[in-house]
Amino acid sequence: MIRTEDIHKHFGALHVLRGITLEVTRGDVLVIIGPSGSGKSTFLRCINLLVRPDEGRVFIDGVQVNRADIRPEWVRQQVGMVFQSFNLFTHLTALENVALGPIRVKKAPRDEAETKARQLLARVGLAAKEQSYPAELSGGQQQRVAIARALAMDPKAMLFDEPTSALDPEYIREVLDVMANLAHEGMTMIVVTHEMGFASSVASRIVFMDGGIILEEGRPLDIFEHPKNERTRAFVSKILR
Amino acid sequence: MAVATEHVGRTRAPPIFSLSNAARIVEMVIGGLLLISIMSVVLKFDIRDPRLWAGYGPNFVRGFWGTLGYIALILPISVGVGFAAGWARVSGHRMLAWPAGAFVDFFRGVPPIVVILFAFLFGVDFIPLRVQLFLQDVFGTSSNSLPFTLAAFAVAFHSGAYQAEIFRAGFQSISRGQIEAAEALGMRHFQTMRSIILPQTVRLSLPPLGNEFAVLIKDTSLLGALGATELVGLSQEFTAQIPISGGQIVWAFAIWSSVALTYFVMTFLVTRLLRLIERRFRTPGLDVMSL
Amino acid sequence: MFRSVESVLGILIIIGAGAVVYDVLAGSRGLDLGYFQANWLRYARAVQVNLLATSIAFVVGMGIGFLVGWARSTRTQPIRKILSDFHQAKVQGTARGRSALAVTIAVAGVRHYLRRIADGYVEAIRGTPLFVQIIFAYAVATTFYPRLAGVEFFAGVVALTINTGAYQGETFRAGLQTVHTGQVEAARALGLSRWGAMRHVVLPQALRLVVPPLTNEYIGLFKASALLYFISVFEITFLSKQEAYQGHPFESFAMITGIFLLITVTIARVVQYFEARFRIPGLGIEPARD
Ligand SMILES: Nc1ncnc2c1ncn2[C@@H]1O[C@H](COP(=O)(O)OP(=O)(O)OP(=O)(O)O)[C@@H](O)[C@H]1O
Ligand SMILES: [Mg+2]
Repeated sequence: MIRTEDIHKHFGALHVLRGITLEVTRGDVLVIIGPSGSGKSTFLRCINLLVRPDEGRVFIDGVQVNRADIRPEWVRQQVGMVFQSFNLFTHLTALENVALGPIRVKKAPRDEAETKARQLLARVGLAAKEQSYPAELSGGQQQRVAIARALAMDPKAMLFDEPTSALDPEYIREVLDVMANLAHEGMTMIVVTHEMGFASSVASRIVFMDGGIILEEGRPLDIFEHPKNERTRAFVSKILR
Repeated sequence: MAVATEHVGRTRAPPIFSLSNAARIVEMVIGGLLLISIMSVVLKFDIRDPRLWAGYGPNFVRGFWGTLGYIALILPISVGVGFAAGWARVSGHRMLAWPAGAFVDFFRGVPPIVVILFAFLFGVDFIPLRVQLFLQDVFGTSSNSLPFTLAAFAVAFHSGAYQAEIFRAGFQSISRGQIEAAEALGMRHFQTMRSIILPQTVRLSLPPLGNEFAVLIKDTSLLGALGATELVGLSQEFTAQIPISGGQIVWAFAIWSSVALTYFVMTFLVTRLLRLIERRFRTPGLDVMSL
Repeated sequence: MFRSVESVLGILIIIGAGAVVYDVLAGSRGLDLGYFQANWLRYARAVQVNLLATSIAFVVGMGIGFLVGWARSTRTQPIRKILSDFHQAKVQGTARGRSALAVTIAVAGVRHYLRRIADGYVEAIRGTPLFVQIIFAYAVATTFYPRLAGVEFFAGVVALTINTGAYQGETFRAGLQTVHTGQVEAARALGLSRWGAMRHVVLPQALRLVVPPLTNEYIGLFKASALLYFISVFEITFLSKQEAYQGHPFESFAMITGIFLLITVTIARVVQYFEARFRIPGLGIEPARD
């Protein structure tokens, strides 16, 4: 479904990604963990080409997408993304936020797009909030709208970049619930998160990144209970505590 | 999905008409009348003097329409120029940003009257004769009105320079995350500009733009220094003739009070109108910004 | 306001380019460099008139502005509140006499109307063009003192003063309002005296708040002083216009814009430096533009 081969990325002198090779099959939920600055966000952004990899290849459904002849806009329609800071469009209501992509990008008729947006908002439990502006929503509600917004594009896969780390503890649950449901419905997902409960119950695989490379990869139980790598062990023991 | 639904809780925009608002306006009208009557007692003039208005009335009316005409000409130009320059400054292209910066700094650093004067006196020399003739043919501009039009452009550019800063601040206050989220949806640059950046910029820029429009209206009075067909110019023309035409010296006070009052009403209406628009489009989370 | 020396250079280049264009179009002989050398002193003298008028108006206007800002930033108690307080005090048996109540109400009333008058002054000045204010002041001055020498300068300075007083009033109001109440309460809670709170808490903040917008006001006022040419004050615009008519339009335009840019840029730069030097994160107000 999503495959990367030897991704490299430099920011000036900084070599942020140093050869990331990964494969996620359909319906898989891959969780990426790793210390701050290890390049997790950059890697995620390389997949939907918000950041262009300097070297290496990104495949979606077997098609290499980081090519000059493929528009990044097209790639981004195939994979949805949810940000740590929600990034809901401030000037639009919840409904308008969700409907915007289908209307503007997919040129769907407005009423059709809005009907679908209502369904999606209901799916994330926010049917009553469709007329609210982002500033009128709690962090958890905003993030759920952001998930609905990404889903509205009918993506083949979803990328989550620390979706709960900007949330107050009491709102984390509701967002994770939505994500877990999504996973059960068979959505292919790559999730950067340090929510270990979520990772161990939902993830099919866990990847530990540090210094721009993948240090260890395995099933949740293996990574959490029997990490092979010394650095993984240190990191896991830190976040499990 | 198993997440509880919440209740609707939209905050309402404050009412446009309220009793305290009305009270303030009544208070203002009374205050204005009081101010004018105090002035007319101290300076011994009567603003309602029918003999004054018999002579000055036509000038006043013609001047008022002239001022409105100049505003109608200058306002759109200034917004266009200001928006373009503001955009150029954040565009990231040095070749665009740099001239726009120089333009803004020049028009903000030099008194508008100086630019207006020179545009009026010598601006025509910069327009090739052929273009002048062309303009005469197409728009019917006489060679007499061209200098005034150039001076009006100077006013527009001056205001445009200030508006450029307003728009620039608006553009810059839009967070990187908004743009990134739009890109993540697959929007192209133009779409992002149109449906995300522009609406937010315009909303953020409205309050300072309202002030700027009021300033612009007041700045059209500078055209009066050139004897343009507008309120100040025609009033000046009439006052200059008072000694010759056998009027009273104190008429000047009545005239300039009326002129001032007219500008006051115009700026008041414009700021109120923009505030109304602003309320109409109020968006929670986008109004906290003050630029 | 002025980010870079680059911009100033750019302006000079643009003026130079304009000179070339002028040369081509009007068939003039281009910029006469000798003119600058021969005449700069006259321009420098003329701009002193602008600086003098601006400075007098600014300083006197600051006095007016402070009073106006102070009047507008004070909060008066509604009479209903005073009465209910009095009533409560009576119930508790701590009420002072009826005359004390009358005085309280009278003071509140006077303060309310002082504030209203200040509001009216600011609105009236901000709602009307400075140009009209100057013409008005000139008309008044020449009517009552037709033969007084220098009456036009006097009238011009008075108009500028009254104008800047209103704008500075806005600045002081914003400054004082930002600092008032909460900060003063906190200072008094620490046991500072009323003056101590003013000296150690309110003023250091209010001054920082007020200096940048006041500088912009000075620059704006300086630019506005160009309007005095219209009432025949012999200042730089007057001179420049005269020179332009005597066959040096481009040189005199370059001269006057150059001088204005030089002075405004210098002032803006100096203040920017001090502003950065004494900056406190999270403390700032916007200037009012006239
Ligand atoms: N656009 C950019 N320009 C320059 N440097 C960048 C850019 N984006 C990221 N970096 C740098 O690349 C490194 C990796 O950043 P990245 O955001 O991918 O880390 P991360 O693993 O997501 O960290 P965190 O857990 O804090 O989100 C950091 O040192 C960061 O400063
Ligand atoms: Mg990150």
